[in-house]
Amino acid sequence: MLFLRNALPTTLVHKTKGNPMSDWSGLEFIKCDIQGETLVVTINRPEVYNALNKAGKAEIVKAIRIGNKDEAIRSIILTAEGKAFCSGQDLNDRAVQGKEGKKVDLGHTLETEWNPLINAIRESKKLVVGAINGVAAGAGLSVAMACDMIVAAPKVKFVSGFSQLGLAPDAGSSFTFVKGMGYSKTLEFFLFNEALYSEDLYGWGMINRVSDNPLEEALTMTQKINKMAPLSLELIKKNLQEASERDFASVMARETATQRFLGASNDYQEGLEAFFEKRKPQFSGS
Amino acid sequence: MSNLSFDWENILVDTADLHEGIVTITLNRPKVLNALNTQTLKEIVLTLKELQRRDDTRVVILTGNEKAFAAGADIAQMLAATPADQIKDEREGLWKEFTLFPLPIIAAVNGFCLGGGHELAMACDTIIAGDNALMGQPEVNLGITPGAGGTQRFTRTIGKARASYYALTGEMFSAHEALEMGLVAKVVPSRTTLAEARECAKKMAKKSPMALRLIKESIQASFNTSLDEGLKLERRNFYLTFSMEDQKEGMRAFLEKRSPNYTGS
Repeated sequence: MLFLRNALPTTLVHKTKGNPMSDWSGLEFIKCDIQGETLVVTINRPEVYNALNKAGKAEIVKAIRIGNKDEAIRSIILTAEGKAFCSGQDLNDRAVQGKEGKKVDLGHTLETEWNPLINAIRESKKLVVGAINGVAAGAGLSVAMACDMIVAAPKVKFVSGFSQLGLAPDAGSSFTFVKGMGYSKTLEFFLFNEALYSEDLYGWGMINRVSDNPLEEALTMTQKINKMAPLSLELIKKNLQEASERDFASVMARETATQRFLGASNDYQEGLEAFFEKRKPQFSGS
Repeated sequence: MSNLSFDWENILVDTADLHEGIVTITLNRPKVLNALNTQTLKEIVLTLKELQRRDDTRVVILTGNEKAFAAGADIAQMLAATPADQIKDEREGLWKEFTLFPLPIIAAVNGFCLGGGHELAMACDTIIAGDNALMGQPEVNLGITPGAGGTQRFTRTIGKARASYYALTGEMFSAHEALEMGLVAKVVPSRTTLAEARECAKKMAKKSPMALRLIKESIQASFNTSLDEGLKLERRNFYLTFSMEDQKEGMRAFLEKRSPNYTGS
């Protein structure tokens, strides 16, 4: 089921469990579809290998924001239509071309477009699973790697490509790759722009699964996620992000605050009762 | 003590933990991201005055909601204001009175903490920030200047270079940046901010209320006096504690390896 521009929100509400208040109108470059309790966001510009212009990025941010507000949605999948996942910046966007001697401010494009998109994924309280159907290049690589969990089709190419244009990798990819495979391998990857494949990244522990049908596999994962305690998921995600950025003592302090908070939650009571009654817990998110 | 209840328009006062000495004041204008208008400030100050009259309050927590501690002033209300309006406004007196509350006030900050909201947080004794906090003095973006500590407390806390950078660009900074600058005491997961502020309040509330008052007074003096004057006040306050039963009790309990029972006398 696809919800393109002008699709009637009421149709969407009727056929899904989404919140009737959520406004899905005005989407031109992505499709949004709710499967069970999972919001599937599909980048939909296959004719340009799913390059993202300004509006396309804003639409993904909007979808993630709605997904976070909508209590009937418990997880998000980010995928794309066609052969590619995302080829990064739409170079046809005037703002990124330096024409007639005028210099462009790519820092501005990052600050106002790419960084907010990456941050929307990283700050999403609901887990974002990337179903990487095809090549992820440039800033598209950053979008793929910003996802909380990643399933990729076999032999998908991951390319940086920035140095080829005389630029440097951006939108968080320096951090992600150095953390994932160390300085020297990352440097080589960024300098020479030879593709890494799904299988390589799986080997580095940077993606979770390689699957012939990444979307289906991602849906299997989100079905598990959707049954879990939402506050627990949210805080595990956040604490792991902090763990990769901060020192042991401050991470342990965060864990302590987290556990004090979760220990007082209804879902912990439910989890305990279910454990002792040998049944599956029904978590409410409170 | 008599029962304590308030019926305010813009804030909520939670006295459920008053048996532990803790009162929580929540800014409650979610539709305007808790914009700090005069009425709100007045309600906070009147509440503090009432709490000060009683002897069961030890620590106050001041907080907002997940999205905003307080995002500045009411811009729509200020657009047509004249200098005379601003001078006649009671705010200046209210800010002063806020700082006269003698016991610790902990700001528990999530989300936007900007302009007047940021100044309010800085006027508290300490700040516990959620990791989603975004703080700053964005007045310059509107062609005005901070007016209640955003150039003074701010500069004395984080230093001239950084206070100038943020006040002159209007740029916001994150909770972690605030921690590095010494503006907040702790950064915690935003879901846990209030719970962690309460943990902090519980620790303070178990101490001698006289010690709490005197320490607060001495630390506040460090903002207002020369080092010599401040050290003198600190020394006087230190001497003063030896005239109190709580000093004897605290030291006896330490030697007897038990928890002290402070009476505030």
